[in-house]
Amino acid sequence: MLKLNNIYTSFAKGTVDEMKLFEDFNLTVNKGDFISIVGSNGSGKTTLLNLICGTLTPDSGSIVLKDKDITALPEYKRSRYIGRVFQDPKAGTCSELTVLENFALADNKNKCYALGRAINKKRIDYYKSLLAECNMGLEDRINTPIGSLSGGQRQAIALVLAGMTKVDLLILDEHTAALDPKAAETIMELTHRLVSEKGLTAVMVTHNLRFATDYGNRIIMMHGGRAILDKAGAEKDALQVTDLLGIFNEISIECGN
Amino acid sequence: MEILGSVEVFLEMGLIFSILAMGYYVSYTILDFPDLTVEGTYLTGAVVFGLFVANGLNPWLGLICAFVSGCIFGAVTGLLHVKLGIRPLLCGILVSTGLITVNLVGVTAGLAGDFKAETTSIISFGRDTATLQDAFLGDLIPIRLKSLGNIPLRMLVIFLVVAVVCKILLDLYLKTKNGLLLRATGNNQQFVKMLGVDPGRSKIIGLAIGNGFAAVSGALYTHTADGVNQSMGIGMVVIGLASLIIGTSLFGKVKFMAPTTKVMLGAIIYQACLVVVQKLGIPSAYNKLIMAVIFTLVLVLGFKAKRKNGGVKNAKA
Ligand SMILES: Nc1ncnc2c1ncn2[C@@H]1O[C@H](COP(=O)(O)OP(=O)(O)OP(=O)(O)O)[C@@H](O)[C@H]1O
Ligand SMILES: [Mg+2]
Repeated sequence: MLKLNNIYTSFAKGTVDEMKLFEDFNLTVNKGDFISIVGSNGSGKTTLLNLICGTLTPDSGSIVLKDKDITALPEYKRSRYIGRVFQDPKAGTCSELTVLENFALADNKNKCYALGRAINKKRIDYYKSLLAECNMGLEDRINTPIGSLSGGQRQAIALVLAGMTKVDLLILDEHTAALDPKAAETIMELTHRLVSEKGLTAVMVTHNLRFATDYGNRIIMMHGGRAILDKAGAEKDALQVTDLLGIFNEISIECGN
Repeated sequence: MEILGSVEVFLEMGLIFSILAMGYYVSYTILDFPDLTVEGTYLTGAVVFGLFVANGLNPWLGLICAFVSGCIFGAVTGLLHVKLGIRPLLCGILVSTGLITVNLVGVTAGLAGDFKAETTSIISFGRDTATLQDAFLGDLIPIRLKSLGNIPLRMLVIFLVVAVVCKILLDLYLKTKNGLLLRATGNNQQFVKMLGVDPGRSKIIGLAIGNGFAAVSGALYTHTADGVNQSMGIGMVVIGLASLIIGTSLFGKVKFMAPTTKVMLGAIIYQACLVVVQKLGIPSAYNKLIMAVIFTLVLVLGFKAKRKNGGVKNAKA
């Protein structure tokens, strides 16, 4: 489904600060996978997602999505196949537009943005039904500018929007990190439902080890630009939060802390 | 009666500049792009229109071509910014500087013979030149309203019609998918990318519209100047921005008023202020300074209002 082959990525190339992050990095994501990625700060999780989404291009190596080489495809063209939710709840929606206008725009994804009427009144009930599933009372606030909603509410909408049109791959970068525990729980539950109902393939970065063990069928731990742990299926199910914590400790001892 | 004359003057000016200000609403408010190109495209619009009229062609066609020419050069600014990554202010300076030559060459090419680069007036409309005044509702609207102290009326009506048509078209456009996408582009480019659209394309379209409107504004202005003047474009950024900001900060709280209406009112109010200042007997050499001072005042007031609003918003979130 998605393949990263022999990826090399470095920052500040040619300066004294040159930092090689990925060296010959490989990853295969199978169709229907729901992968949780954990790892310490600066281990390269966001960079990995940026490579997949096209925000960054690798120095060398190739990225293949559904047998199509997308290495050189700009970010906006990859969005056709990829939905993404960011850590920052402000990033996934337009704050000055109303909830309805955000929905109308996302509903038209992958179609032409021409001179037709932006808002199709017949779709409003559908949008409301999607909002009602969030259980946040958002269905009554369809004409509110997104900017006056709370972070959790915005994130819920961002998630719904990202999954509304058909995508092959859903990318989630710490999308519950800015939320309170209750809201994080709700969003995680929504994510789970979205992924399983639509049969999506998903890659989720999280610092919440319980989410990482409870959800998904595969777990990857990153460290210094390498995947130091990659477990799927039954092996993953056997993994407990305490096991992961143990590995984290081992790494930091190795690093000399 | 003299008062009526002044009212007529600032209404005419206000309507002309309301179109410029609506253009600024698109590039500055919606796209967050401080566009200096208008100083050039305003004059381009005047030149294109002037050439049509001076050559006896249909002035309405001239107005449309003025709009198109503005769009083209606005798009050039957009391309410089999007494709070459040049900063907004620099793009505007580059294109408006280049346009000085384009405008002059355009006049030389379009007007056989009687153009002299050393004078500031580059096209002058003679008595028999058929401008929009003659080509539109010529018989329906009297040129002057006799009963009200000889107030010229036809020009005012024409400016009103053009401004309102521009406003309605812009309002309609902003309700389309493309228009909504434009608003999203100014707000959150990442979101636009996730819709599978290149935000750069939206920016180019927005700048084209903004400068098209500036060009129409310049074309209308030729009516009050009886021709085209080399210095016409100077100060247009200030007029456009001031009108825009006066309108949006004065009427910011009014919910059920389209932003374009606010901007139009802002342009008229700004011109009214200028007329009042002139009536106080200040020499006309101080005009531009006064414009800048009024603008500064508005900016300060506008920022205060914005901060208040921002505070409320933050408290809610
Ligand atoms: N644009 C950049 N320029 C320079 N260095 C960068 C850049 N982006 C990332 N890096 C470096 O690459 C490394 C990995 O960063 P990345 O953001 O991928 O980490 P992460 O795993 O997402 O961390 P976190 O858990 O804190 O989000 C870091 O050391 C970071 O300093
Ligand atoms: Mg990160």
